[in-house]
Amino acid sequence: MLKNYVKTAFKVFLRRKFFTFISLFAISFTLTVLMVATALLDHVFGPLPPEVKTDRTLGVYELRWEVEAGDSRSAQDGPISYAFLDRYVRTLPDVERVSIFTHFFSSPVTSYKDGEKIESYLRRTDGEFWKIFEFNFVEGGPFTTQDEKDANFVAVINEATRKRFFGDQSAAGKTVEVDGQRFRVVGVVANVPIFRPVPFADIWVPISTSKTRDHLDRQNLLGGFQALVLARKPSDVPRTKEAFRVSLSRVEFPNPGHTNRLYAQAETFFEAVSQRLVGSKEESHPERLLAVIVGFMILFMLLPTINLINLNVSRILERASEIGVRKTFGASSRTLIGQFVVENVLLTLIGGLIGFILSFLVLQMLTHSGLIQYAEFHINHRIFLYGLLIALFFGVFSGVYPAYKMSRLHPAEALRRRA
Amino acid sequence: MIKHLFKLVWNRKRANILIVAEMFFSFLVLFAVVAFGLYYADSYRQPLGFSYENVWNIFVISRASDPQNVLTTKQMLYQALKDLNEVEAVAGAQTAVPYESNRSRRRHSHRGRSILVEVGRVTDDFKEVLGLKIIHGRWFEKADDALGWDPVIINQRFSREMFGSEDPLGKNIASAKAIREVRVVGVVSDFRKHGELSQSVNFLLERILFQKPSFDNFMIRVRPGAPATFEEKLMAQLQAIVQDWTFHIRPMSQMRASYLKLRLAPLITAGLIAAFLMMIVGLGLMGVLYQNVTQRTKEIGLRRANGATAEHIYKQILGELLVITTFGVAAGTLIIVQFPLLRWFAFISGKVYIISLAISVAMMYLLTVLCGLYPARLATKVHPAEALHYE
Repeated sequence: MLKNYVKTAFKVFLRRKFFTFISLFAISFTLTVLMVATALLDHVFGPLPPEVKTDRTLGVYELRWEVEAGDSRSAQDGPISYAFLDRYVRTLPDVERVSIFTHFFSSPVTSYKDGEKIESYLRRTDGEFWKIFEFNFVEGGPFTTQDEKDANFVAVINEATRKRFFGDQSAAGKTVEVDGQRFRVVGVVANVPIFRPVPFADIWVPISTSKTRDHLDRQNLLGGFQALVLARKPSDVPRTKEAFRVSLSRVEFPNPGHTNRLYAQAETFFEAVSQRLVGSKEESHPERLLAVIVGFMILFMLLPTINLINLNVSRILERASEIGVRKTFGASSRTLIGQFVVENVLLTLIGGLIGFILSFLVLQMLTHSGLIQYAEFHINHRIFLYGLLIALFFGVFSGVYPAYKMSRLHPAEALRRRA
Repeated sequence: MIKHLFKLVWNRKRANILIVAEMFFSFLVLFAVVAFGLYYADSYRQPLGFSYENVWNIFVISRASDPQNVLTTKQMLYQALKDLNEVEAVAGAQTAVPYESNRSRRRHSHRGRSILVEVGRVTDDFKEVLGLKIIHGRWFEKADDALGWDPVIINQRFSREMFGSEDPLGKNIASAKAIREVRVVGVVSDFRKHGELSQSVNFLLERILFQKPSFDNFMIRVRPGAPATFEEKLMAQLQAIVQDWTFHIRPMSQMRASYLKLRLAPLITAGLIAAFLMMIVGLGLMGVLYQNVTQRTKEIGLRRANGATAEHIYKQILGELLVITTFGVAAGTLIIVQFPLLRWFAFISGKVYIISLAISVAMMYLLTVLCGLYPARLATKVHPAEALHYE
């Protein structure tokens, strides 16, 4: 039966080519925009290298510290001090690994090469960092926990930085000078795009090579650091979150006598973002952010949907004779609705296919425009699946009402009309 | 005639309501794009109040636990910058560096009138570095060190909002609880720190004393034609004075370029998407009208047989379309006028709002008429004889 529907549908599409073109144009454009949006979201939040263990990685990104003393209240929030993370996160029980590293800082550091300025984003990390993330090393390897302990001036750089400093030559063993410090390159990794702010950098060096030892100061809870916790398995994640909550409750404050309140969570990156955008200081509400994203997508579909409905409703009478015959021979309204929805979904799927090709082109353009540093967009199976889902939803969403209208045509009336 | 058109539209209300809905939504989209486009174009046209050419910013990350040490180092850096041949002027600035997104705001009041104002803190050479224009009163001067009150410079917008047509000079705008008076000594035409794509805001410049420099940015005016290698030399000089600190040198023209790129990319994307949406709506509308006309052959044939000219038919089809558009546009306008009443999008001025409304209404009618032309012409081709023998 489905085969018959498909056959009829193709006949109908070919009968009025101009209308099929208008519909396809609208459908493929709408789906292109939605698919590109999905691809961008996937590239920001999805499990892509080096962040492949997203299902069991939790971050402690920011801390809010409120102090109350008599009438005066003060609050600070932001990245966290090294000493704090070292004491209360690195000691978490039953986790596979913990890494501490500097947060993403928007000002790059400067180097000069033959009078040319080179700006690089510098991140200071420990050795564990390289075991939580799976960077793709094109040369050499990471620095180790021992390197960090011994304050060795070693660095891992990305391919773009290698090109800037050494052209097309290999970099391992050579030195780079950044921000007035000299590092020996031990490894070169593939570029990580800037919208992956946790692993992103141009140059990674050990924390112990910092210019000062301020980060070891225990007086302040806030500082320039963040931590990642790798749970042993995905099902351990809730337990790890709870362990961090317990750990928070035993924080010693540098100002006894004041009322202190701390807000921080071990959370996924998506949870951290949703807390900033739609959550409160206590809770993150990732489901709200998801609802907002889906809401925006449906809102965007609204206009093309009404457009498609209008077009289809205005074409009902084209099918009058067919509907009349089918009804007189006993087809129920429900079967007819089914048939017309299938037709619409079929058209949407063709539009979706065109949409995929267009999204691919748009993403290629975006990659080559260099608008987003080191961004390389690809279509993967997740994006394909979401795209298919969106196309199906759009097909049903825009097909039900015209199908319903068509099925309501009175058989006698329908047959009376000239085909 | 018009009443009749309304009746015709009303008789087919079931089919028309969906078209009205489509018009309504497209009108909202169109308005949003036009309003934002005009808002940014309008902002771009306004004078910045400063010049960014040959200005460089040096952001300093200081590392020292002793504040006295920080102070003397900054003074040394200032002197070193001043001594450079290629540098014409040096100033210190905090939350006053153009194209940076940080801002500091507070309330100032005068005679019970309290207004939120953005504050930038600068040293005396700031005017020379950024080429600010004093239009009333004076700039900061060395003699201000000895004053028993704090001198501030305000922009014209703040002056107007706080003092109306009164002369702001010498007036105290300190908050009631403040110990020291804060007096206006001068007015600059404007200082649009947040760049070309921002609207002018209330701005106040406060004086930083070099005896206690609490700022993280040195801004320098570089002599025109300084060689490209100057930046490296400058960096080496600064690093030589204090090895531990980190410096970020940025020509302001570069900061401006990346600012524009970052702000314009989403605007252009939104504009392109909206343009495509309008194209879809237009094509769809044309299809629907075409279909309607072919289905109303009988009615049109009857009119032709009764002596209606081709022009009459033309007018009827377009007239009906305009009535439908009017419904959609009217519903949209009803929603759009709620925004200023609810104080949403309050940053868009009333003038821009009204002009955008007018433009989008005009564009909406233009779009529908363009889409209706071909189907309407098709309707005039209906032959009465053929139409009447339809049954």
